This record gives sequence, structure tokens and C-alpha cells, in this order.
Amino acid sequence: MVPEIGNISLTLALVVSILLAVYPLWGAYRQHDTLMATARPLAIGLFFFTLISFVCLVYAFVTDDFSLAYVAQHSNSRLPLHYKVTAVWGGHEGSFLLWVLMLSIWTVAVALFSRGIPHAMVSRVLSVLGMVSVGFYLFMLLTSNPFDSMLPFFPVDGRDLNPLLQDFGMIIHPPMLYMGYVGFSVAFAFAISALLSGQLDSTWARWSRPWVIAAWSFLSVGIALGSWWAYYELGWGGWWFWDPVENASFMPWLAGTALMHSLAVTEKRKAFKSWTVLLAIAAFSLSLLGTFLVRSGVIVSVHSFASDPTRGLFILGILVILSGFGLLLYALRASQLKSPGRYQAFSREVLLMGNNVLLCAATLVVLLGTLLPLVHKELGLGSISVGAPFFNQMFTWLVVPFVLFLGLGPLTRWKQQHVAALRNQLLLAFGLSISAAFLVSMSYSQPSYMAALGLTMAFWILITSIQEVLQRIGAMQDNDSMLRRLRKLTPSHWGMVLGHLGFAVTLIGISLVSNYEVERDVRMAPGETVSLGGYEFTFRDVVKHQGPNYDADIGIFDVFRNGEKVVHLEPEKRMYTVQRMPMTEAGIHSTLTRDLFIAMGEPLENGAWAVRIYIKPFVIWIWCGAAIMALGGACSISDRRYRMAKLARLKQTFSHPQTTTQTGEQS
Amino acid sequence: MKKFPLVAVPVLLFTVLIVFLFQGLFSDPRELDSQATGKPLPDFSLPDLMQPDTSYGPDDLTGKVRILNVWGVWCVTCAVELPYLTKLSREQDVTFVGLYFDQDLDPDFGTKTLSRVQQEVTDMLSRYGNPYAFNIFDVYRDMSLDLGVTGAPEHFVIDAEGIIRMHHIGDINERVWNNKIGPLYNRLRQQNRSLEAAE
Repeated sequence: MVPEIGNISLTLALVVSILLAVYPLWGAYRQHDTLMATARPLAIGLFFFTLISFVCLVYAFVTDDFSLAYVAQHSNSRLPLHYKVTAVWGGHEGSFLLWVLMLSIWTVAVALFSRGIPHAMVSRVLSVLGMVSVGFYLFMLLTSNPFDSMLPFFPVDGRDLNPLLQDFGMIIHPPMLYMGYVGFSVAFAFAISALLSGQLDSTWARWSRPWVIAAWSFLSVGIALGSWWAYYELGWGGWWFWDPVENASFMPWLAGTALMHSLAVTEKRKAFKSWTVLLAIAAFSLSLLGTFLVRSGVIVSVHSFASDPTRGLFILGILVILSGFGLLLYALRASQLKSPGRYQAFSREVLLMGNNVLLCAATLVVLLGTLLPLVHKELGLGSISVGAPFFNQMFTWLVVPFVLFLGLGPLTRWKQQHVAALRNQLLLAFGLSISAAFLVSMSYSQPSYMAALGLTMAFWILITSIQEVLQRIGAMQDNDSMLRRLRKLTPSHWGMVLGHLGFAVTLIGISLVSNYEVERDVRMAPGETVSLGGYEFTFRDVVKHQGPNYDADIGIFDVFRNGEKVVHLEPEKRMYTVQRMPMTEAGIHSTLTRDLFIAMGEPLENGAWAVRIYIKPFVIWIWCGAAIMALGGACSISDRRYRMAKLARLKQTFSHPQTTTQTGEQS
Repeated sequence: MKKFPLVAVPVLLFTVLIVFLFQGLFSDPRELDSQATGKPLPDFSLPDLMQPDTSYGPDDLTGKVRILNVWGVWCVTCAVELPYLTKLSREQDVTFVGLYFDQDLDPDFGTKTLSRVQQEVTDMLSRYGNPYAFNIFDVYRDMSLDLGVTGAPEHFVIDAEGIIRMHHIGDINERVWNNKIGPLYNRLRQQNRSLEAAE
């Protein structure tokens, strides 16, 4: 009964999305208020039916309804309850249902929080989101319906959730990632609506900015969680593998970062208009491309979903229709765009443009690296693979100028900056960052140039950010105390500072862990001790443990430093009974400055085990940095000037919207 | 209209991308067109990994069906498949010959010594199992080049005449063995045995 309700709701959601794609747009075209007014209720209906459908699937999982093929393949009666819930997005069909649920959440959010935006614009935006939805609901119902039934013959028990996914990181990673992916659809919808209406002034940039920042923040958290999960769950100790699926999420992030900054220029300076529109289309197209790559099987990856050419073809069709239509519209309309902003060679505009170019170059590098094996083969040149060294080298080249501009950008003025005015400040920042990096590097017995370079860049961002805040509060014309002045800076300004600092923190983590990590693969029997990087790892014992749906061998380790006990670690080797799949649960002790990481390998003869031990300096900073970046995003969105309703009221009072935006000056 | 070509660039690039993605949908990325299949082993003369005085040539790989396994201690997947290969060699009498190459060891410029490599190999084989009849040491990696090796692990099924009958990229696990390599290997072995019996 319940699965049938879910199925019907999903079908109803498709119907609603078709209505949403047609009526409000038609209304906006004909200037027909009643038709435009259907947009909001339809968006709410879309969300409502999708939610019902999702809840039905969750219910099917919780009640072990193995008559559903999807439940039978991804759950098991012995799976703990919380994993039964998360198993909903453990496979292709269910994760797609989560995907469309997120899409409907964004749609309804746009409908509810855009009261200040003109009626016709909201109608167009919601219609475009409706068009995007039509494609995906059709895709679900035609090729990957999670409610497909196995009646009348259904299995007694399910095949269990992939053990890799039975983990806390997996509970929140996909929702966050999808929120980010799908969130760029809002920016896309705004851009397309602006192109459709021909109103390509800076207002669309202001309206879509908070949405882009929100999507970008979610995506940052999602990517970081995925990386963190890979780090502790795969047991290889790595945190980024340049795997096609990781690349698929990284490309929209890079494009989204560029979009976020380009929107700022468009909003404030009315420049880069055409470029911003293109980036908005590109960010969403890359999200779609990522979805295609992950779910079609065109590319080999450790964690791609089961491949099926019809599904791939369908998503490719959606990609062609949405992105192709968007880009075509862009080609037709963008030539009308004129960016009146005038600026000199050394100005914030130019620096932001430089960083945009670098971010786009980085996106292209990832795109080419991911697709080159495919293209190469299709051209009949044979099979090749593009590995981590290519990406690492390219990113090392790209990040240096990027960081240089990143530090300079906030310090410089719009339009024109005299070099002389900043020279001393910059020399000071540069000198300080090099000496700080030098000092830190010297504390290592074998200093590495790459680590020193990374540290210099991080300190450069840190110092220029501080200088920028000081410059800002120094410019305030009042006699308030320091603290009060700091509090006067707008939340969106703090958002920028936090975003940049977060990047610096991540940079520190990456450069130190890449250059100073140490690892040992050893054969250890209980009672033996191995020393690494000043720590002694003592292997006490192995105990058997019976989990709810797995059997485990738990290694008992004590770690000492200079004779003092640091920590007690219990890495596990699990065997999941249903899928007969071994899993490594690493034992990790994290502090701010280093992670101790022990993973159990294979059992050897005489009770000995193959054990892998790592010491990873500052690795946790990588994910902390991402969290700080996302926090910066949240800070920015909380800024008053994005509260549309308030803005609308002010607009009525002053009948001149520009006056309200003067308070927040940030990039 | 002067600006038009520039703004049309994205849509054109996108079209090219779509064409490739569309073609990619209908080809299996795991499938490699190997140049080596169906041909005899390239000529080589290489030393044994453990006893450099012994040297091997193509003739040492005839007379019996064998699987040439390209591997190295630096290769994680190789370590993963070693126990299963060992099991195959013990339980089903499958003959594996290792083709070993090292990334860091270059006899002219390398940082590792041969004895160090031998020590690592011995460690790894004693830890995970040793399926190999013997290991050929591909000193300059030119044998791997001639065979068209793209990485490790890779496997070549070589029949009794020394002809390469299959080139498998990636590891051998139970599924790969049962579905792909095992049937061919057993058929070749059967043919060879009936030939021998006829003689």
C-alpha cells in the first residue's frame, strides 16, 4: 500500500512540475497575473508530493518491505535502524529520489523567500526550475523508479547495504552534496530567466547571489565530508584521489566559486555581465555533467553506480536540452549585453577577473583530465589514464597566482588602485609571510620547498586578510572603540574574510600533510612495538567482536611518546556477513597538529597481522578549512541586504533600490 | 554582430563534448584494445629477479599454458590479488609467471639497490603468498613496453606455443577468474593436454 502511495505521489509530482514549467512562464509572457500566481502553490505542491514519495520509501526501508526491488537490494533485516534510513540513498534510484527532493526544496525555498522580487521574474525562475524538474521526474519514473515491485515473488531478506556506506559520514555526505549540486539550478534558473526577459541588469545578480552562496556552502561541506569519509573509511589514509566522481563534484565547486565572485562584480560594478551569466549556466551544466558521469558508466571509477546505457542516454538528453538550450539562448542574447563599468589595469575588478580566469582554467584542467581518457579512446588513439600527478602539478601551477590575487583583491579598490598607496603594506605582508613560512619549515628536520611554498601562500592570505579588516575599520569616521568598529563590519564582509581564511587553513593542511606525512607498512604480532615519527605503537592483542550485521577482529593498540601513553586505539577489520565483504575501520587519533592512523591489513600466520601506520600532520585542517569556508557562506547569507522582503519595502519608500546596498561593501 | 562568434563558442564546445559523451556511452571503458593479443611474445632476454645469473627468453614460456602477471611491490592492487592468485596456483594448479618491474629502480639513475628490491619482494611474497613459478625482472621496463602494459596489475594468458591469447587489465578476483580468464585458461590447458596425449 505505502509504496503505491509513493509511486502515485511521484507521478503527481511529475504532473505538477509540467504545470509549473508551463503556466507561470506563459503568464509572465502574457503579463497575466492569475497565471503567474500559480507559481507558488505549484512549487509547494511539487515539494509536498516529492516529500510524500520520499517518506514512503523511508517507510518501506524501515519496515523491511522487501517486495520493493530497491529495498531488497540495499537493505537487510539485520541492518541497524539508522542505516536503514540512510540506505534510502545508498543506491542509484533512492539517491535520485533524494536528488529530486532537494530540487523541490530549492524550488519551494525560492517560491517562499522571494517576496521582494518582481512577480514576473519569480514566475520565470520557478518555471525554469519546473522544466529542470520535468526532466528528472520523467527520468525517475521511466528508467529508475525506486518503487519497482518484485511481487508476487519477493525475497525473504535483503542483500544488505554496501558496508562502505554503513557509516556516519555517508549519512550526511550525499544530502549535503546534492544540496550543493542541485542548488546551482537556482542560479541557472535566474540566469535563464534574465536572458528570457532581456532584463540583464545587475538586479538579477543581487537576487541570485544568496542562492549561489548557499549552494556553494553546501557543496563545500559535501565535498569535505566525502573526503573525510574516504580518509577514515577506505583505510588507505588518502583524502583526495582525483577519482572521476570526486572530480565530478569538484568541477561545479570551482565554477561556483568563480560565479560567486563574478556575481559580486556584476552586482556592485555592473561589469562582467555576460561572463556571469555564462558561469551560472556552466556551474549547473557541470553539476548535470557530474550526474551523468557518475550514473552512466562512461568512466571507470571506484564508486560509480551500476551502469546502464539507457539511463546515461536519458541524462545526456536532459543535459543536451537544458544546457544546450541555455547556451544557445546565451549565444543569441548575450551579444546585447554591455558592461558599462570602467576600470583601470590595477583594480579589484581586474584581480577578480584574474581569479575567475584561473578558476575556469582549473575547471578545464579537471574536466579535461576526467574526460581525456574517454576522448582519446573515441578518437581511436587507444586507452590512456590520467592520474593524480597530472592534477597535482597543474594545481600547483594554478594556485600560486590564484593566492597572490586572492590576497590582493580585498585590499584594492574598485575601479582604480594606486600601486604606491599599497606598496608598503604589500611588502610587509609578503616579507612576513615568507619569514613565517621559513620559521615553521625550519622546525622540521627535513624542510620541503613545496611545504614552505604552501605555508607562504597560507600566511599571505592570513596577513592580507587582517590588513584588509584593519584598513576597513581604520577608514571608519568615528571614535568608537576597536571592538565596536569590528562589530560594524557587515556579516557579508565577515563572510568573505572567513571564506578566505578557510581557504588558507585548507591550504596549510594540504601542504603539510602532502609533504611531511610518514607511513609504515609492517608485519606485527601481538606484543610487538613499532616506532614511527617519535611515537611507539604497541600492538597488545586482537579480540573478536560480534556486531549487528558483521564480525570483527579488533586490534588493541597503545601509542606512546617518550614513554608516556598518548592514546589507546582500536582499529577493526570487519567482515560483513551478508555481502561477504571485508571492511577496514581505521583507528584514528586526531589533534590539531597531527593524526595517528592505524589500519589493520590482512591476518598473517602465527597471529600476526599486516598493519599500516600513518602519522599525518595537520590533516584535519583540510576539512576544518572547508567548514570555515561554509561558515563564511552562512555569514554572508545572513546579511540583511539579502532579505528581499525588507528590500522591497525600502524600495517602495525610496523608490530607488540602490541606496540600500551602499552599506555592504564586499567582494 | 561582431561579438556574435565569441558568445557562440560555449555552445559549440558543448556540442563537441556531447558528441564524445554520446559515443562514450556505447563503449566499455574497461575494455582495452590490446595490440598484443593473438601474437607471439616479443623477443626478450631478461634475468630472474632473485637469481640475476639465470636469464629467460621467449622459449622459456612455451610448452605449457601460463599466466604472465605484471606486478610490483609498490602496487596496492597487486598485494590485494596475491592471496587469491596463490590459492589458484595451489588449488587449481594454475601457473603464474611474474613480470616484475620497479618504478624507483633504474639501474643507471635509480635510488634503490637490487638487493633492497629483492628484500621487499621476499617480504611481500611471504606476507601475502607466492603464486609465482618464477619472476622475470624487467630491468629497463622495455618488455612491459613491448607488451603494451598500461599499469599494474595486468595479466597475459600465454598458450603452450607462446602466443598471447588474452590481455587482462586489472586484478584477478574470483569473479574475473570464473567469468573471464578461467574458462579460456582451462580450455587452452585442455587442448594442450590432448595434444600431448596424442603425441
